[in-house]
Amino acid sequence: MFLKHIDLTTALRPSYLPDEDLLFVQDNVGLYEGKYKLPNHQNGQVYLTSHRICYVDKAEPRKYSVALDLKDVERYEFYAGFLKSSAKITLIPKPTKRASVQPRSPALATGPSRNGSPSPAQRSDGAIRNSPVEPAPVSTATWVCTICTFSNPVPSNFDPTTANEHTPLPPCLACGIKPTLAHVLKAAISNATSRHPGTPTIQTPLPIRPRPLSELAEAQASASTTADPEASFQCPRCTFLNHPSLMSCEICGGPLISHDLPAELTQQPRANTESPGPFLSSRSSPPNRETPESVKISFRGGGEKIFYERLKNSTTQRKWLLQGAPPIPSSSRQAISSSDGVDSTPGSAVARERPKVGGIAGLERRDQARRKNNELVIGTAFEDLEALMASAKQIVALAETFARQVKGAGGSNASENALLAESVSQLGLIATKDIVGSSSSGRDSLYLSELARTLAEFLTDDSRGVLKKAGGIISLVDLWAMFNRARGGVELVSPADFEKAANLWEKLGLPVRLRTFKSGVMVVQGRDRTDDQTIKALLAWMKDLHEFPPEREVPWDWHMFGRGVTARDVAERFGWSIGVAEEELEMAEERGVLCREEGIEGLKFWENFIDTGEGKSYKDAATLESERLLKTLKDVGML
Amino acid sequence: MASKPPAPFQFPREYSFPPFFTPQTNLTTHHAQQTKWAALVLAYCRHYRIFRLSISPSPATASSQSAPPHDTSDLFHNKQLNRRLSPAHIRSVIDFLRKDGRAEYLDPKGSGDVAYVYWQTPEEWAGIIESWVEGTAQKGSVLTVYELVEGENTRGSEFWGMDRDVLIKALGVLVKRGKAQIFGQEDSLGVKFF
Repeated sequence: MFLKHIDLTTALRPSYLPDEDLLFVQDNVGLYEGKYKLPNHQNGQVYLTSHRICYVDKAEPRKYSVALDLKDVERYEFYAGFLKSSAKITLIPKPTKRASVQPRSPALATGPSRNGSPSPAQRSDGAIRNSPVEPAPVSTATWVCTICTFSNPVPSNFDPTTANEHTPLPPCLACGIKPTLAHVLKAAISNATSRHPGTPTIQTPLPIRPRPLSELAEAQASASTTADPEASFQCPRCTFLNHPSLMSCEICGGPLISHDLPAELTQQPRANTESPGPFLSSRSSPPNRETPESVKISFRGGGEKIFYERLKNSTTQRKWLLQGAPPIPSSSRQAISSSDGVDSTPGSAVARERPKVGGIAGLERRDQARRKNNELVIGTAFEDLEALMASAKQIVALAETFARQVKGAGGSNASENALLAESVSQLGLIATKDIVGSSSSGRDSLYLSELARTLAEFLTDDSRGVLKKAGGIISLVDLWAMFNRARGGVELVSPADFEKAANLWEKLGLPVRLRTFKSGVMVVQGRDRTDDQTIKALLAWMKDLHEFPPEREVPWDWHMFGRGVTARDVAERFGWSIGVAEEELEMAEERGVLCREEGIEGLKFWENFIDTGEGKSYKDAATLESERLLKTLKDVGML
Repeated sequence: MASKPPAPFQFPREYSFPPFFTPQTNLTTHHAQQTKWAALVLAYCRHYRIFRLSISPSPATASSQSAPPHDTSDLFHNKQLNRRLSPAHIRSVIDFLRKDGRAEYLDPKGSGDVAYVYWQTPEEWAGIIESWVEGTAQKGSVLTVYELVEGENTRGSEFWGMDRDVLIKALGVLVKRGKAQIFGQEDSLGVKFF
């Protein structure tokens, strides 16, 4: 199955694989399989990562979220949208069992000019690939006059590989107008391609393989604007299958799909830009390699261009190949050094080669060597950006070891350092303004919702236990500081955005919630935590204080009253921050569960023995009096 | 009253509860606290027959020549706990009592330091005096205030030794009811009961 069901994190986002990087997020997208809309997959967010494309449904995220691996994608096509039809990106899966022979060789053989199409992938490729009708199954090549549309034979001595501006070209047989070189060239190439046996699928111009830029440029130089060499174009107006070289329909004269693809990307509402979707579907069962379950992502809220760009990049980078790959060897020496210098790397074969030196001298020497190697690793890593990218893994590992060392030395802020070290690996997974697309309802809302999800993940992540460590409740300010620190100083979140994102938790149905105390202090806590639970916990603890004698003599009867607790005590007991403890105590006081005592020792909170229900007795005395009076009056008979 | 009560006042449980001496912010709790304090003050004053309560810590009230002022310092100050009610809070307790007609400031403007505490309101005192007058068949007779407060005849009655000013207020109630008539000068007031 091309589309796989995926697991979501607590924040209802796809859980990433190790090393997976989030590249782009866009909301308001729908999925198609083939030409049909997939039911229940029509409104969601699409996450483009370095490895996958994930769709997370908005209404039923746990049920209808799917992903497809980029490594299974044969190619992808762009459709710019037309009138009411939104922009789409079609992902065509690799054939599962078929021979992986790339029909690339014939294409290459025909000449480099084919590859020169500026952005081949953006072509509405469906029209090209599946054309069952060859324009003219003739043995000799023909070119169609652009003036009178007469089909002329290409001169037999015309060689597309050697032709240049000075090659003599015969004029049109019908009207006598000389064709352009490019025109004849195209015709000749397309003919050569179509004649090639067993190459019905010429979709290979698509950049499945990343081509070196230089080659591309070279190829581009050798050819002028390129039409697709074979296949015909259906006229959107009269459905006549025109020769691809034609810019306008032979029958009705309507303009045909422009091959000037960058222009197409700009999404001009051109009437003739027929959607490839319907086109594909009209040939519902193509005989060739077309896999029926190609998947389309429909971008109803925009963002398709960035998505496309990022998708292109990620398929070019093919990071999934790196998964589990050994660290990039920069030089053999460095490889040694890295495995040596970085503790986390398991002992390598190189380690054995080291001359054995025992005792303190050996330790010292090893330490020295390690330091040197670390120096080298860092030095080369920062030489240029390329090298940094290559040795990123090593550097991260090094950073972690440094952090560990600092922790060992400092001790006091150990947890913070641990958090820092932990977060290094997480950096790639954090939503930034950069990776989210435009949203239908303002650009920021998607960013904020992504930020909200990131935060929720950050909070509930079991390995960090941010919320757990803070006793299940943490003030928003603390969280903000911690979060930004975890980001390591890049892509910091502004307080305003942070608050807005926190306010979205409720709406997004995430497992954390923002609570505002009456003093205005905002805290974050798990959704399942309520005030009642907090009060219950507080009271249970207070009850315990009746049993356990206080540390020093107290003048009151602690068996009866227990003792007063300060916010500090509570913070210590429940692992809350003091601010939170104060707020919780005041909340309990507001509910009448606790009462306060202000003294020289500070503000203490006690179980409420003041308002114990009989507090009304005094008031009652007055009413009782009047009642008694009424009663006596009645008895006397005055009433 | 025959003799000074030997038994010291039995303070309620709350008196040894430290938060009891802190003004509560929660309104419900605060109300409960006020009522408890009010009840405590009344019970305390009744126990020691205190008619005038001084808000300031020094119990010596200047001009009251009557009833030797009992040391009220332990009412608002729990020495054992080392907790005391702040003067402002005491005043709020008195104000709370005033709303019920159970207290009144000496200075009618309500700014004085001393307040009457009516563990029996003047009306109640009036009733007591009236029934005493009837019980002792003193109707129609004339008595001086001094006789009422410190005379041999009234020894043993509830109002013996009571505060003069409070007594005059009680007599005033009787006058309004038409049961008595007050005449005479400042220090030699006479009352005629009907």
